[in-house]
Amino acid sequence: MKFSTFVRYLFLAVFNSFIIYLVPVTIAFESWFLLTIIIIISFLINITYLTNRLKPLKWITPGMIFLLSFVVFPAAYSFYVSFTNWSTGHILTKQQAIERLEDMTFTNDNQKGVEFDLYILQDQDLDFYFLADLDPDKLLFGKAIKKEEYSQVFYATHEPSFKDLNGNISIPDEYYLLSAKEQIANSSELQDLALLIDKNTRVQLYNISVFGASSGRLLSAQQKYSYYAEADILYDNVNNLECNLGNRGNFICDGETIDPGWRITVGTENYKRIVEDERFRGPLRIVTFWTFQFAFFAVLATFFIGLLLSVTLNKESLKFQKIYRSIYILPYAIPGFISILVFKGLLNPDFGLVNEWFAPVYELFNIEPINWFRTKASSRTAVLLVNAWLGFPYMFLITTGALQSIPKELLEAAKVDGATSRQSFWRITFPLLLVSISPLLIGAFAFNFNNFTLIFLLTSGGPPIVGADVAVGYTDILISFTYDLAIAGGRGYQFGLAASVTTIIFLIVLLISAISFRYSKRLERVYGNL
Amino acid sequence: MEIYKFTNWFKEFGWRHLVGLIFVTISLYPILYVITNSFADFANLQNSKLIPDSFTTKHYASLIGDPLIPYFKWLLNTYKIAGIAGFLNVLLGTFAAYAFARLKFKGRRVGLITLVLVQMFPSFLAFVAIYLLFFQIGDVAPLIGLGTHTGLIMVYLGGSIGFNSWLIKGFMDTIPTSLDEAAKVDGATDFQIFYKVVAPLSRPIIVVLFVITFIGIYSDYILAAIFLKDANLYTVALGINIVFMDDFANEWGSIAAASVIAATPIAVLFIFFQKQITGGLTAGSVKG
Repeated sequence: MKFSTFVRYLFLAVFNSFIIYLVPVTIAFESWFLLTIIIIISFLINITYLTNRLKPLKWITPGMIFLLSFVVFPAAYSFYVSFTNWSTGHILTKQQAIERLEDMTFTNDNQKGVEFDLYILQDQDLDFYFLADLDPDKLLFGKAIKKEEYSQVFYATHEPSFKDLNGNISIPDEYYLLSAKEQIANSSELQDLALLIDKNTRVQLYNISVFGASSGRLLSAQQKYSYYAEADILYDNVNNLECNLGNRGNFICDGETIDPGWRITVGTENYKRIVEDERFRGPLRIVTFWTFQFAFFAVLATFFIGLLLSVTLNKESLKFQKIYRSIYILPYAIPGFISILVFKGLLNPDFGLVNEWFAPVYELFNIEPINWFRTKASSRTAVLLVNAWLGFPYMFLITTGALQSIPKELLEAAKVDGATSRQSFWRITFPLLLVSISPLLIGAFAFNFNNFTLIFLLTSGGPPIVGADVAVGYTDILISFTYDLAIAGGRGYQFGLAASVTTIIFLIVLLISAISFRYSKRLERVYGNL
Repeated sequence: MEIYKFTNWFKEFGWRHLVGLIFVTISLYPILYVITNSFADFANLQNSKLIPDSFTTKHYASLIGDPLIPYFKWLLNTYKIAGIAGFLNVLLGTFAAYAFARLKFKGRRVGLITLVLVQMFPSFLAFVAIYLLFFQIGDVAPLIGLGTHTGLIMVYLGGSIGFNSWLIKGFMDTIPTSLDEAAKVDGATDFQIFYKVVAPLSRPIIVVLFVITFIGIYSDYILAAIFLKDANLYTVALGINIVFMDDFANEWGSIAAASVIAATPIAVLFIFFQKQITGGLTAGSVKG
């Protein structure tokens, strides 16, 4: 067997055993959706590698699976989620929610507070037994078990023989009666144990007493809700109520919504909220506008600095060129999350060095020190400043490359025709430079449009917009706003709503890409392919 | 005369050095600041300055052995995740690129256009869907659900494979096909042509893309943040930004030391591959 064949079969064997492990699990969880995906993927893989007909797919499939599963599919899935009410209180599927509801229990009022003597015994295997002295006819004895063992039936039995004729407790020799001290030493374990009386009732240790017997309490665990599948209703066993299906993915008992609910599709409700709800629309408008502003000024500032530096250094026989160039790369070489952290320290309004440097200026003009990150203007300025530091090296590199690729003859011809150096820069160098790097500028715009790391780590979107219905701040861009909505805003998970904002982001990115594509096509026609 | 000479020099060169030096200061200041602060005695943020009065290594020592701040675990996690995801990424990317560059088949054009389209949408944009997807996968297969490195690696794998195979394909196109034809005449199979001819010749781009992918994953925040909740499993970007933030000003020394350790290898790697990295990035964006 050839090596490549061996590798192929090995890969298939590992892959298929993984699938064989997953299929029963998905069935057990009734996760039909995942099961479908798993079957499709495994079918595709096996066909590809067991036959010889789909040669190119052999090379492409492994990468394609990841690309489709974790890039293409999430995009489509996110679109689907935007039409659901998936959020806190509606996280589960209907079936999971019903299971959760049927697991809920309650204790009857007439059983609360009844206390009785409870003796704790141990056998030779050091297993614990409870002896509950409920009344003369009920001296219940049995093994004390943990919650996980409730299903294995160890019901208590009435054992009159554990009392002598005088009514005092007398323990058989094979058991040992724990003293109060020993009970205290084992208390954490004993807390978790229970003696089952019947399906719904159990005895638990309530209070350890140093004098005399400890006390126990009856706990009844009756099912709070029962679900009737045929009628699709929930029955409230506590209040004897029938609960009907609401239209928001909940059961409703006597006008009250029962938690947990489940997720349902709600049509365009999320989008409607974006468009119509003023307390949501207002902040969203601020965020969207700022996202464009930020991306635009971020590109403009870094481009300007980068161009300034590349023009400055674009001079033959200038000394130290190499040193300058290698230093300008440095901000780009450091991971962004580190630089942002350092700037957070430098700009700190109370202790930061930036305010310390500017102290004389503040004094001279008799103004308040800048309250970095605490006002809208200062936060936005800080975001742009830090971005300029992070991004100018990239612009420096690409403008340097573009400058050097501009044919020297053009500039010399202009000089012969009597153009000043300023004229030849603005009329020849700059337009040619723009042509060759405009796709990169649009790329940088798209990057900053979704520059989550900078915004989230530097300002977390703050300062907050007052009066908004959701957690949102003045430096939030669309993607960080989505993050707050979905996960981190501290107002619950609003996946459906967040997904609808994601749709907006996708549309804008699509638009940017389309513009970029057409623009570069047009420039190519006008100026030729540089 | 002297003054005239100086103004001439300034017009020609001097202003360039002036601008150059201003930006040297701006570029270097934050970097030097964090380095000196990592060694500074009593460096909380209040009395931090560029050149501290006395030096110490206590901030570095403070990163070792504190169970609440498992800093080196974070580093290890990050190297593991970025290393595995980066390696598999270029491996699978090279496979796919080979098919697109060398084999003729139906749907090749559609496949290529898909790659170009997909790479315009970074995978983290759909993070809500990724979160919910893995939230459900976790029920079924806990080994790859939320909170695991495996799941995170899989997501990173999908995220940059389009970009990478596109660039590798572009590079493979520049390798003359006469080489594989010669091999084919000698009786080589497709797989042999791949790993004896095309793949070795594509090594420069493969290495660079590995480095780019590695650095990208190393610096990622959002996907790591939605996946990892257990402080022992954090990547370094998460760890530094979550755990130290409670007491930012007073932890300043430790933050500086942690930053220096986390940034240095990446900066060295970047500077070493600087030419190829910027070349690769530029080529990618121009074509995309």
